[in-house]
Amino acid sequence: MKIVVCIKQVPATSEAKIDPETKRIVREGLKAIMNPFDIYAVEEGIQLRDKFGGEVIVLSMGPEKALLSLREAISLGADRAILLSDKAFGGSDTWATSYTLAKAIDKIGDVDLVICGKQAIDGDTAQVGPGIAAHLDWVQATYVMRVEDADSKSIKVKRMHEDGYDICEMDFPAVITVLKDINIPRVPTLKGCLASLKIEIPVWTHADIGAAIEKIGLDGSPTRVVKTAPPPPRNIITQRIEGSPQDCARQLVRELRIRSIL
Amino acid sequence: MKHRIQKKMYHVEILPPKQDTEKLEADLELFAEKYNRVMESVYCASITDNAMGNLAFQGTEIIEELGLEVNPEQVMIHLNTFHTKQDLHNILDICKSRGIKYLLIISGDGSDRLPRLQPSDVQVKGVVESVTSVELLKYIKDEYPDTFVLGAAFNPYEPPEHEFEKLQRKLKAGASFIITQPIIKKNDIVDELLEKYPDVPVIIEAWMSKKIHLLSDAVGYEIPEDTQFDPIETLKMLHKIYPACGVYLSLLGFKTQYHLIKETWI
Amino acid sequence: MIISDRTDKSKYSNVWVVAELLSGKIQPVTHELLGAARSLAAMRSSQVWAVVMGSGIAEQTHSLFAFGADKVIVVDDIRLSGFIDEIEASIMVRLIEKYKPEILIGAATARGRALIPRIAVKTNCGLTADCTELGIDPENGDLLQTRPAFGGNIMATIRCSNHRPQMATVRPRVMKALEPDFSRSGEIIRENVQDSDALKIKRIVEIFHSDQATVNLGDAQIIIAGGRGVKGPAGFEILRKFAAEVGGAVGASRAAVDAGWIPYSYQVGQTGQTVQTKVYIACGISGQIQHLVGMQSCEVIIAIDKNPDTPMMQIADIAVVGDLFEVIPEIITNLASN
Ligand SMILES: Cc1cc2nc3c(=O)[nH]c(=O)nc-3n(C[C@H](O)[C@H](O)[C@H](O)COP(=O)(O)OP(=O)(O)OC[C@H]3O[C@@H](n4cnc5c(N)ncnc54)[C@H](O)[C@@H]3O)c2cc1C
Ligand SMILES: Cc1cc2nc3c(=O)[nH]c(=O)nc-3n(C[C@H](O)[C@H](O)[C@H](O)COP(=O)(O)OP(=O)(O)OC[C@H]3O[C@@H](n4cnc5c(N)ncnc54)[C@H](O)[C@@H]3O)c2cc1C
Repeated sequence: MKIVVCIKQVPATSEAKIDPETKRIVREGLKAIMNPFDIYAVEEGIQLRDKFGGEVIVLSMGPEKALLSLREAISLGADRAILLSDKAFGGSDTWATSYTLAKAIDKIGDVDLVICGKQAIDGDTAQVGPGIAAHLDWVQATYVMRVEDADSKSIKVKRMHEDGYDICEMDFPAVITVLKDINIPRVPTLKGCLASLKIEIPVWTHADIGAAIEKIGLDGSPTRVVKTAPPPPRNIITQRIEGSPQDCARQLVRELRIRSIL
Repeated sequence: MKHRIQKKMYHVEILPPKQDTEKLEADLELFAEKYNRVMESVYCASITDNAMGNLAFQGTEIIEELGLEVNPEQVMIHLNTFHTKQDLHNILDICKSRGIKYLLIISGDGSDRLPRLQPSDVQVKGVVESVTSVELLKYIKDEYPDTFVLGAAFNPYEPPEHEFEKLQRKLKAGASFIITQPIIKKNDIVDELLEKYPDVPVIIEAWMSKKIHLLSDAVGYEIPEDTQFDPIETLKMLHKIYPACGVYLSLLGFKTQYHLIKETWI
Repeated sequence: MIISDRTDKSKYSNVWVVAELLSGKIQPVTHELLGAARSLAAMRSSQVWAVVMGSGIAEQTHSLFAFGADKVIVVDDIRLSGFIDEIEASIMVRLIEKYKPEILIGAATARGRALIPRIAVKTNCGLTADCTELGIDPENGDLLQTRPAFGGNIMATIRCSNHRPQMATVRPRVMKALEPDFSRSGEIIRENVQDSDALKIKRIVEIFHSDQATVNLGDAQIIIAGGRGVKGPAGFEILRKFAAEVGGAVGASRAAVDAGWIPYSYQVGQTGQTVQTKVYIACGISGQIQHLVGMQSCEVIIAIDKNPDTPMMQIADIAVVGDLFEVIPEIITNLASN
């Protein structure tokens, strides 16, 4: 089984501090980490390889420092890594990002399975996984909570929906995106980390993957962020409810209905 | 443990390199340097386990990888509940085979990235929904009988009723010594602790960083950033107030402070 | 589709809503999307169309008119009884080519987030995820799409000037449905599944519906979180009942997790999960900073605490002063009786 795991490097918002004035997270100076969902994707890739043979290739599009996240994946047990890095990739939206990743997957060749995280914690769209599948015209399964079975030709997965779940079977090649429920990712060992320092990671540009210049980066992106702003300030006029438990309950439920929460 | 306190043996905290370090080899070297220095001084190296939920390497794997020498009286390994069962056993097995016997068992700080022991991993049944230091203490005591000397943490800044109740369970589960959160002056709750458990060895944590405001989170009230703080003087004072207690030195400056602590415990 | 000039753009009109079905039933989020679509259509002087794909769904189309659709495209086929992304995307691509909608909105649900990106890529269109606000630029008629990113810490406004249709997804309970008007009706257009839609597809082997929705913290719209004040596993049972009553998920502070009352996966905060729901109800949680960073982006924060002066009670939109063991059972009774 030839598996490509797509990983994105993101700012570590979980370490963020709150600005006492604005009550919002300070984003400056945040460390870059592997997108938390992608760690589960890497773990699933490694487990599938260990069970069914083959190799795990980790792929990331991003600046040079994304090498660090790729090395982390190697230290966990991925076989090799490729970085897609090129000024021309800058400003990609999910359409252009998934196009670029799809071209790289094409170039890697003979890939059976692509595994993505459910979503990235910065862009938060969950669109890149299905986008890759669409560009490649492969079958897809998103929100995968378990791989039930697999063989050299197909994979059977359990997908989560709001009203339960289903189990579906897909012939390779296929794309899946995974939830955090899918496994318990291992923690890198010192031995693994020391070994990952010695691995060469090739860096591919748009020319290397034969990506059309008009389809990548900002120019290739149909969406444009025209404005960013902090969210509207929290309404900090606290409405206080006091009294007997019955009164409190009644008032709260009424308030929830007025605010059409219920 | 008592004899080690009588011997005035400091517990010196050493943090293993973080997993996301960009200079792993240099960090390992530094770790070895600190470790060896603590060995030479005949103090105890107290090696943390993913402190603050920050992913770091395990003390045990570093000791193995670098071939560091282990004197059983001089090494303490912290062990929290954020491990897979397999990793937990790996760590415990290395400790056992290398003769490391002092373990500080804590619930610990998790993060998204750290697996946590599940109740089924440590064979607890009934109402417990998550594994805390209490379950881990009991598990280690049962699985590795007569192998380790286990300690537990005590936080004098938590609501005391809750904390004392928890401590009681930790002692019952197998803890035989206690290490407190950092204290910087006489503390009523610690006094109460010493009174309630005169026979249990207590090690108080001394905060060795000048940046005392960093303690705000732990103590639960705001310490202003410009607060003046003299760690060495405070340490001397703590020895006076708590002569029967051992001392754990957190964030000790190896370059700036290490040579000074020779004369603090007299 | 890539649009090269103004004349091309004018070929695209109307606002489409892709209906969200679960267990074969049209979901309320569809009505909410129709509400949003109506106001967009009013600004563009165009119509609202709904597209429903499923099996045995004919009777349900009526409600779509009541909630604001002018026309409904129905694709009713046994092959659409499960959720096969590949077939549905292929159908949508054909319909978009045929009818040329100007705007298309779908639900940001497990299915919508699988289906709509596939359609967007195949039609060369941009797609804005999880919009909280949709408007029209009065200057040029473009759709202005506003969405949170970075866990709710930034609001981005996005447009797709050169591509049609302009596509967006919206989470449930973000937009408001109109009062249904069951006297409204409209045209039903029937379309078929073609064999070419079903060439390379997945096979659904089993489907499980559970009555108790599989809400996890990340996807829930309401979280009922408990802290040390909940006092034990039994206290969390009360919170679970509360959560079941409002269709929410349960969360916890670290103090509760450390006490062993609830698994770590429920922990909210700096060393747990970051959540961003419509409503966060903190029960017996004092609101230390490490907890607040994990939930402060929730839209409405409600605190229930004995102590009126905790940080949580200060930042809450609604602060209920009282013993949670007395107040919450009353709330549950109150909700159940309504
Ligand atoms: C404020 C803001 C708002 C945005 N809104 C939109 C929007 O509404 N629509 C839109 O099209 N774009 C949007 N973007 C751009 C989008 O964030 C980028 O295109 C980004 O590269 C990928 O999207 P994502 O972060 O949402 O990833 P997701 O689609 O959430 O990621 C899912 C998975 O895809 C894989 N993956 C994603 N990116 C990479 C990568 N670079 N390398 C390897 N694997 C990867 C990972 O496995 C990841 O877990 C926005 C950007 C910002 C800053
Ligand atoms: C590095 C680090 C990381 C941390 N990460 C996290 C994290 O991720 N998440 C997290 O939550 N914490 C985290 N903490 C811990 C945090 O500082 C607090 O200790 C914790 O959030 C307190 O939990 P609590 O609010 O439930 O408990 P408390 O602060 O004890 O609050 C309990 C509240 O319940 C109220 N109460 C009691 N009885 C009742 C009753 N009958 N009815 C109504 N109200 C009642 C009390 O008035 C009080 O306000 C972290 C701490 C550190 C140092």
